Amino acid sequence: MDDLILMKDIVKVYPPSVVAVDDVSVSFRVGEIHAVVGENGAGKSTLMKVLYGLVPRDAGEIVYRGKPVVFHNPGEAIAAGIGMVHQEILLIPEYTVWQNIVLGVEPAASFDRLDREKARHLVKEKIDEFQFNLNPDALVGDISVAARQKVEILKLLYRNVSVLILDEPTAVLTPQEIPQLFSELHRLRDDGHTILFISHRLEEVLELSDRITVMRRGRKVDTVEVGTTNKEELARLMVGRNVIFTSRRKEHTPGKAVFRVHDLTYVDAEGRQRLHSIHLEVRSGEIVGVAGVEGNGQYELVNSITGLIEPSSGTISVNGSDITRAPILERRKLISIVPQDRGKMGASVNASIMENAIMTHHRLDSRFSLWKGLLLNYNQARTFTDELEKRFAVVMAARDNLFKSLSGGNQQKVILGRELMLPSPFVLLDQPTRGLDVGSIEYVHEQMLQMQAEGRAVLLISADLEELFLIADRIVVLYRGEIVADLPIENASVEEVGYLMLEGRGLQRDGQKAS
Amino acid sequence: MAKKLLSGITGICIALLIGAGMMLAQGYDPIATYQALFQFSLFGLSPLATTFKNSVPLVLTGLSASVAFASGVVNLGQPGQLVMGGLLATLGGLYLELPALLLVPIMILLAMLGGALWAGVAAFLRRAFNMSEFISTLMLNMIADFFTAWAIVGPFADRTANSPATLPIDKAGWLPEVGGFNLSVLFMLLAVAGIWFVFNRWKAGYEWRISGQNSLFARLGGCDINKNFVTVMLVTGALAGLAGGLVVMAGPHRFLKGLGANYAWDGIMIAIVAGNGLIATLLYGLFFSAIQTGALGMELITDVPSEISLVLQAVLVLVIVAGREYLSTTLDRLAARRKALAARHNPEGEFP
Amino acid sequence: MRILIGLITGMISGATPILLAALGGAFTFYAGVFNIAMEGMMLTGAFFAVLGSYFFQSWLVGILLAILGSLCMALIFIFFAVRLHTDEFITGIALNLFAVGATTYMLRQIFNVKGVFSAPGIIAIPNLDIPLINQIPFLGQIISGQNLMVYVTMIATLLSAYLIFKTRFGLRVRAAGYNAASLDSSGVSSARMRVWSLLICGVLCGLAGAFLSLGYVRLFSENMSAGRGWISLAAIILVNGNPWGVAIISLVFGFSDGLGLLLQGYNVPSQFTAMVPYLATLIALYFYSMKLKRTPIGRAYLRKHKHEHS
Repeated sequence: MDDLILMKDIVKVYPPSVVAVDDVSVSFRVGEIHAVVGENGAGKSTLMKVLYGLVPRDAGEIVYRGKPVVFHNPGEAIAAGIGMVHQEILLIPEYTVWQNIVLGVEPAASFDRLDREKARHLVKEKIDEFQFNLNPDALVGDISVAARQKVEILKLLYRNVSVLILDEPTAVLTPQEIPQLFSELHRLRDDGHTILFISHRLEEVLELSDRITVMRRGRKVDTVEVGTTNKEELARLMVGRNVIFTSRRKEHTPGKAVFRVHDLTYVDAEGRQRLHSIHLEVRSGEIVGVAGVEGNGQYELVNSITGLIEPSSGTISVNGSDITRAPILERRKLISIVPQDRGKMGASVNASIMENAIMTHHRLDSRFSLWKGLLLNYNQARTFTDELEKRFAVVMAARDNLFKSLSGGNQQKVILGRELMLPSPFVLLDQPTRGLDVGSIEYVHEQMLQMQAEGRAVLLISADLEELFLIADRIVVLYRGEIVADLPIENASVEEVGYLMLEGRGLQRDGQKAS
Repeated sequence: MAKKLLSGITGICIALLIGAGMMLAQGYDPIATYQALFQFSLFGLSPLATTFKNSVPLVLTGLSASVAFASGVVNLGQPGQLVMGGLLATLGGLYLELPALLLVPIMILLAMLGGALWAGVAAFLRRAFNMSEFISTLMLNMIADFFTAWAIVGPFADRTANSPATLPIDKAGWLPEVGGFNLSVLFMLLAVAGIWFVFNRWKAGYEWRISGQNSLFARLGGCDINKNFVTVMLVTGALAGLAGGLVVMAGPHRFLKGLGANYAWDGIMIAIVAGNGLIATLLYGLFFSAIQTGALGMELITDVPSEISLVLQAVLVLVIVAGREYLSTTLDRLAARRKALAARHNPEGEFP
Repeated sequence: MRILIGLITGMISGATPILLAALGGAFTFYAGVFNIAMEGMMLTGAFFAVLGSYFFQSWLVGILLAILGSLCMALIFIFFAVRLHTDEFITGIALNLFAVGATTYMLRQIFNVKGVFSAPGIIAIPNLDIPLINQIPFLGQIISGQNLMVYVTMIATLLSAYLIFKTRFGLRVRAAGYNAASLDSSGVSSARMRVWSLLICGVLCGLAGAFLSLGYVRLFSENMSAGRGWISLAAIILVNGNPWGVAIISLVFGFSDGLGLLLQGYNVPSQFTAMVPYLATLIALYFYSMKLKRTPIGRAYLRKHKHEHS
């Protein structure tokens, strides 16, 4: 097969000094599914963005269909037949499916009038051609994530692209939706399309692709044929050492209940019921994992616990104290929170590391007070930050440096450290390992096991089923605001939990779908 | 810190150059103009003292805006808070018969109270009805303007005056000069020191700063966002009100039409140029005052109209603010290019 | 009866500049630009309108110069906010201040007056008498005989609604506001959409300014836009930019303006009557806030002001 695309000696540096792509050369063939794998930060996304024209390269060249090309923007790439579906779905929720698809190439009548009928018709044609099962008039904001992904793909096919770049497409899908995507991709490949597939999920990549390129720290490690490799070898190439894929749980007996949610209900401003009578309990020394597709009530549950929203009814209590309507500061005496989005909720990235470290402690710890509690004791702040740095092995240059100068893993260490140094019996962790590299993920899991050893009660919300099965003692599934399963981990399987997440009810014992 | 100073000085130089260009286009001699400008504002005790005295409302309103913006509070009501503070202080000076040692502090407190109360209206509207303080403070500016305009031709008017004004305040409220400098400057510096101390050393100040950067994080951390919002509105309102009071006490000694004038809007601009830094606000406030003071004197000996100072200031704002972002981005991009070159010349490097 | 006609005419006159500026602002609103510079653009337009009318003895030239002047302001905004990526809020504030300073400066330089320039030589925009319609009792006296600019405004409202909701251009402009990254990935530059929206805003604000100084009154006074740009901003936020909604809100504000004049007849001090439009804005803001509407532009606003609007 011919090389359709040849990328030679590509270098990309993000200002001021992040070398995202470090002298990479790779080629892609016509009619293949080619996966690009690597950890977070390996440079796979950036490499594809360079190809697509989203990001200008600093060095190297690209040869497409035998001719050197430069795409200054995605428009040029699309015109040449290359299209990219991003990880964050880049659609307009306020517009319908057909509006999203024709945006930029809209059929027009006189006076620039948008020809709605023609647009709808053309889109419907494309939907039928590729058998995508979409309603052209549905608002993109209302349809499922998997459907939105299809709209993104169709958008590109509408413009007659032959090369499709997909960036972590399975990150937003449930286990049950993935096979459908894969069969569609196989169909497209058999039709002659070329598919470039970015991922860090090794099993999927082995199932889907023809060839795999592994990247690490901005460099290409190797390109292999799927038949000649396996998961362990890929992992080794990705990380540089042998990676263990087994559970890290230790046997232990949990203590008494520390955290209790009773009959929790939340009805939102538009009258939709987001939480239905949630009952949940976490015992001392126990890690309870909450699984579920995003949007099934996790947001409301977490924010009810933290105090950002007020539930409609029900109670939340820690060690017997009812905190359902308590002000946030009161809750913080009992709860440690590691929130979902480091930059948006877990820290102030433009403040110094020290200023981030002392949050909440400045109010709860009397050592931080001077002069009738009005002044902040900066000596104590400095001592405290140093202690945090030591205990949690944070790699940082100086306390006063900005928080954003830290790497993602170190940022999470500071946040974890800050939260764990609170004398709280209950810890809430919301997607704590999102966006971290393998080393940092291991670190966070270690810390959670440490929390367990200390007798704290831990509630872990995670979209990563693998992670939950690695570390949780019990697993709870949220579906449409209800808890549809509450199982000890030994009694649960990935398939069953996946099914519960998607359908709300379980498989029968022999693997058949429940009626 | 170094970046900020560099961009500040570069910005000032570029703005002065552009101003010189505009002057040349009009047929004026820029060198002579600038010379006159700075002669009348900085060279000599009397010009310097005048610059400092004129900087009081600029620095105080600028501080009000800086602290508010840095705390995530969009208080754009300094113009209204200034005149309300000035009015209340004037009333104190008209109706209270006290010796200077008592009257001056009381008038100052009244000025701060007036500003704080007017800001409090916006704070109340926000807390009670969730009305954005961005719009309410702006509307309240206009309302305060009209209200004080009525007050000085209505109940508190001086019938003998040629233009709308109140009677002069009691002599005891007139701020004297000390060592050539008006006492209002001292109060301004005290206010700067005071607010700096609160903003940087108090727990409240820490919470304000973090709330301004990321209010969600502050909330989750247990900060009482609502209480802090109200406090910041009141404190920054008081600062703007103080400006009004000091203007009356150090200057015309009565409340007259056009008192607030553009001080407060200049103050907001100064805060923006200073990037909400408190000390930077003080310095830029002094600089802007120098331009304004110098321009008035400059008008006497050259033909250049004093309004050139308005244009100079605006150019300065745009250049510094745009330049700040541009400089930052350019420096980053230069650093990136260096790194890219290094990567290219090291293709066979050790596998990390 | 005469009072009612006067009140309605006053309402229409008061609404016109606000509506024009708000229509301009609506485009930038939809495009996702946090544009608060309508005040400055309007003021600049007002000044150049008088300049053109006086020196060329033609209200048409006045209008053209007003548009040009306002476009200059828009170009400065584009240069700093779109090209150099300076914060839009700051650029807007600086631009407004620059407009006040520059127009005051030019007022004194060119006309050698302070405060107000009013002269018989300023040619005002004429009123338009529509034959046949002006025969209709009551309604005829309202619909016909209005200032030319009022009719222009009506057409502008229709055109704006058409452009925004029925054309490809409108689809893309709104896309730029809803999700600029999505539009960019569709091959259309969202930055270009923002530029277009600012240019359109410049034109409309120029017209608003021209009406202020050549239609509403026949003079230029320092800072004569007097906060109307802010009111038009409030109008936009209240209805999420919809041109029809903006038209209605502008009429309400125009009415409060006229009400103020009416109250003057009842011995309410002029300063208090002048407050009426601003009090009305506060009241409108109250209703808006109580509705707890979560506007799309709230995003742009919240982006700049990171505190919570709960």
